[in-house]
Amino acid sequence: MNRPLIPHLIGLYPLVMMCLFFLGPLAFMVVVSFYERDPLGFYNVAFVWDNYAKFFSSFYYTLSMRSLWSASLGAVLVVLLAFPAMYIIVDMSRRWQLFWVILLLSLMCLSEVVIGFAWVILMSESAGIPRFLGWLGLWEDPRSLSPSFGAMLIGLVSLGFSLVALMFYPQMAGRDRSIEEAALTLGTPPARVFTKVILPNFRPAIISSTVTMFVYFLGVFVMPTMLGRPQDWNMTVIITDKAVGDANMPLGAALSVIMLVFTLLIIGTLLAASRKRGKA
Amino acid sequence: MSGFFKRVFICAVGATLILPFLIVAGVSVNVESNIAFPPTELSTRWYAVLLTESDWLIPIRNSLLIAVFAAFLSVTIALAANYVLWRLKSGFGKVIFALGIGPFMLPPIIIAMGASVFWAEIGMYGRVEATVISHGVFFVTLPLVVIARGFAALSDDVIEASRTMGATAWQTFAKVIFPLVLPYVITGYALVAIISVNEYLISYMISGFAVETLPIRIFNNVRYGYTPVVASAAMGFAVLTIGVLLILSLFTDLLKLLGGAQD
Repeated sequence: MNRPLIPHLIGLYPLVMMCLFFLGPLAFMVVVSFYERDPLGFYNVAFVWDNYAKFFSSFYYTLSMRSLWSASLGAVLVVLLAFPAMYIIVDMSRRWQLFWVILLLSLMCLSEVVIGFAWVILMSESAGIPRFLGWLGLWEDPRSLSPSFGAMLIGLVSLGFSLVALMFYPQMAGRDRSIEEAALTLGTPPARVFTKVILPNFRPAIISSTVTMFVYFLGVFVMPTMLGRPQDWNMTVIITDKAVGDANMPLGAALSVIMLVFTLLIIGTLLAASRKRGKA
Repeated sequence: MSGFFKRVFICAVGATLILPFLIVAGVSVNVESNIAFPPTELSTRWYAVLLTESDWLIPIRNSLLIAVFAAFLSVTIALAANYVLWRLKSGFGKVIFALGIGPFMLPPIIIAMGASVFWAEIGMYGRVEATVISHGVFFVTLPLVVIARGFAALSDDVIEASRTMGATAWQTFAKVIFPLVLPYVITGYALVAIISVNEYLISYMISGFAVETLPIRIFNNVRYGYTPVVASAAMGFAVLTIGVLLILSLFTDLLKLLGGAQD
């Protein structure tokens, strides 16, 4: 019985590819985060904690707080909008469901750059909402609405909406409707059924998708740079700026490692919590 | 009353998602060379610029080239990983599968930063092959999950039948399994290709200055003063993306693929 040998050999291909080009670069990034910066080139081999020490300054403290705030606010908003939207969409006819799924899939695949650009135009004084309001006479002196914190937040929500809606889709479409129907037949108002039956049933899904969106929004680059002001920029923008703009790879790597550890902690906590609930 | 509220809410959400693109479409067909809406006079001049000037043609070519090869790489990895998981059921196969899910759990900036130092170290910074391999590996999660549905749908009796008739493992794969999972493979390929064409941050950090892709080109344009050509490029993107998804929806059941109800 040498049968299992061949599948193992085939398995080497994906294994090697993932280790070499996914885990390998991450491990090497950890190594580089201890290197010294070389102002003339990329870096010198060394073992220093300087890059991490830089993180503990007031600039990075403010930056971290700001990144956490915009990511959590965006995550809560997008789930608040996408959950009820999906609840309505799964009850539509098949034709309309397909329309929504294609719309959401298109938005999910569409470049951040393109979505961001579309919002820049929509909020510009020459082509968008300000011009329309000025034309209606509702706004005396129309000015561009972006860049601003609000514009950035709208950008984040429109970016994450498709993803989170498609995450809710399978569970929402395949849910057991017997309890809601029982509640409705017994004369419970639909709004009460939603808050008392559907929301508690979906609590784990809502929590996990909020966390997923939070992690996702921590890593966005295009929306803050296109729609936000420099004082709205998050950690991702600064990492890119340090690594590509200043060619300071070790500092960029160290900041990424901090973000990686933070992300893994969050995912780990979430997994542990869901396992605990599974046992209980 | 509640039904009315639901309808208003869902229409508002749909309108907000679509409205920006209607404005962009309007800007892209306006004859004027500054960004303005509504259009004063219709013209296709910006589309002509997009499709004739090398400033735009080179990024388009780069993006398409990267997408075609990255998607191929991604699908081969995903197919091999799924085959192994299907044959071995546990242990080794599960480890490989979990590795493939990894890239989607992490914020892209971390992956991009890692790839950036990695390619710089081995001297391939700025090479198009680096972007192809990184896209191929990082987007493997999508075809992995999609093709897994294909393998889950395989029924044991077909495999048993082919084995009792004396087919080798390779013949079973080539003549029975592969044709059955082919629709899922094509779907996975298309999804990776679309995402690769649209991706910005990883391409930028690996070889942003040397290999300009279309999203990089658009981003630079928007940041440093722009003309309506950007609008026409954005429309080109939207049409391409929606077009590919519509074609997919013709021969795979998208609702079922995403886990929705079948009726």
